[in-house]
Amino acid sequence: MKRLFISISDGKGFDILLVGLAMFFLLALAGIPLLYNVLMSFQEVDMFTLGSFIRPWAGLDNYRYIFAQPEFWLVMKNTALFVFCSMAGQFVLGFGLAIFFQQNFWGASTIRGLFLVSWVMPGLVVGGIWSFILAGDYGVLNAILEGLGIIDEPVFWKSDPDLAIWAVIIANIWLGLAFNMLLLSVGLAAIPRDLYEAAELDGATAWQRFRTITLPMMRSTIGAVLALGLIGTLQQFDLFPAMTEGGPANTSSVTQYWAWQMSFKQYDFARGATISMLMLVFVFMAAIVYVRSTRGEVRG
Amino acid sequence: MQIEILNLDKHYGAYHALRDVTVQIPKGQFVALVGPSGCGKSTLLRSIAGLETITSGTLKIEGEIVNDLPPRKRDVAMVFQSYALYPHMSVAENMTYSLRIQGVSKADALKRAREVAEVTGLTDLLDRRPRDLSGGQRQRVAMGRAIVREPKAFLFDEPLSNLDAALRVHMRTEVRALHDRLGATSVYVTHDQIEAMTMADHVVVMRQGVIEQQGAPMELYDRPANKFVAGFIGSPAMNFVDGKIGEDGHSVTLALPNTPVIPLSRKAEAGRNVTVGMRPEHLSLDANDGQIEVAIRSVESTGSMAYYTTRTDPELMLVEQGRNRFRTGDTARLRIAPENVQLFDRKTDIAI
Repeated sequence: MKRLFISISDGKGFDILLVGLAMFFLLALAGIPLLYNVLMSFQEVDMFTLGSFIRPWAGLDNYRYIFAQPEFWLVMKNTALFVFCSMAGQFVLGFGLAIFFQQNFWGASTIRGLFLVSWVMPGLVVGGIWSFILAGDYGVLNAILEGLGIIDEPVFWKSDPDLAIWAVIIANIWLGLAFNMLLLSVGLAAIPRDLYEAAELDGATAWQRFRTITLPMMRSTIGAVLALGLIGTLQQFDLFPAMTEGGPANTSSVTQYWAWQMSFKQYDFARGATISMLMLVFVFMAAIVYVRSTRGEVRG
Repeated sequence: MQIEILNLDKHYGAYHALRDVTVQIPKGQFVALVGPSGCGKSTLLRSIAGLETITSGTLKIEGEIVNDLPPRKRDVAMVFQSYALYPHMSVAENMTYSLRIQGVSKADALKRAREVAEVTGLTDLLDRRPRDLSGGQRQRVAMGRAIVREPKAFLFDEPLSNLDAALRVHMRTEVRALHDRLGATSVYVTHDQIEAMTMADHVVVMRQGVIEQQGAPMELYDRPANKFVAGFIGSPAMNFVDGKIGEDGHSVTLALPNTPVIPLSRKAEAGRNVTVGMRPEHLSLDANDGQIEVAIRSVESTGSMAYYTTRTDPELMLVEQGRNRFRTGDTARLRIAPENVQLFDRKTDIAI
């Protein structure tokens, strides 16, 4: 007994205790629910079997059902569009802003700090605000575009089937911009200034310095930002109920919203779990990118 | 002239970093900029490189005014104190970076890098990354990277200060040998006056943005223009004692115990208050022969040299060849070699 105490206070026991606590929470709050989700996607779940663990085995029936849904390919296309365009927008604009604020003009760090506001705001609020901005009849954006003579009649961003998903993408880019900019700023700040001076003396133009110094030195940061951006975008749920509710006619619905509708609107938990299993594939790819990019760190 | 710096001024806001700096550097010369930290020597070097913009004055490289040229168009290479090697590139890639930027083919650039690697002893390291190299090796890569370019001038910003003492001494001769071999023009910034004295053809001593004196190393050593240069150049440093010129103008009385009188070889204004500078090697100890009697406060012996300090006010430092003949606490007679005494005005510190 005494040896156990000594081990916990001074030795290996302490390490095991720390790892054990983390592992316990990970298993209890993420691992087991995840496995339960996998299990549910192979079961028949209805209101009567909701409370039991052992349910009728469904095999791949749930998957077949989901693939056969008329909106399946539309939702997949929307998800791909939403993920790719949101990430591209967040990353490119975030990188641009990070480089802009890196120039250290007067007030640069203060203004950069203010960008955090978008990060602090709840998604529902952001969705609400962008709903007002993008509103077809009284929206600010339409007013500006009309004032500038770019459009002649109001654009119904949220209710036009061709535009609805873009309305959510625009809001999501705005929401994730600060996170991208901040992480990329940190990466930029970690590159020693004298490398740029050396490259400048070696004859490199600004663009050549960016390509040969900034980008390769930012490799691990960019990998992390993209991986976290993918996860964050697949998690993005709040904007959909706040802006389009997946409509019109599912033209702005994505997998995460569809899974929620399936589980918590139609109480079809098995099929909801099945849809979320499809997302797991994407997240898994993101995790691989993230781990690989942070492993191959090249610094100083 | 390879590099001409004419009446250069540099302000950082209200701070006057460089004041009316003029230095002429002929082709093939090794020039050292030396001074205490904050004296503006690095700012001057960075101004030559184009990394700092100058407020006024003229900067010429090979006769062309480069005041408004960006660094990449000045064709000068710089070796940084931190080495500033590109961490994500191999040694070969580091060395060929500028050539590749210029559009030289990869094969030609690599051939050139191999030639330079031969000279700098980097042949076996070409595939390594900088983080796998020792400090001395990184330093060589930084030099190799500069040499590959065959620039109009080499700029060194305290390149040896991150090395250990033994390697630093070794690299001193190596850098200088490389300079001679390449027929290069070099500007070398250091805070270490020994580096400046041993490596350079021409030494520029700076303080607070002003050039205090420039010239050949021994010229600075033998005829310092003022008390600052006299104290800064030479190790151990020159001794300074207050003194007063005698009535005849041909002698100086020192403010030491028993007020020794030293004859002067040249005439000075009678009664003038001066500071007398005496280098440690121009003082010596003797059992019976000497101007005054002094007690010895401390003795340091390296075997080949003996360093004494005396129990006087101010304390005097003196150096003798060979083993120490006296020990701490001994008393001895102090001899001052009159022909080597330097005089400075007490108020202005300017050499008389």
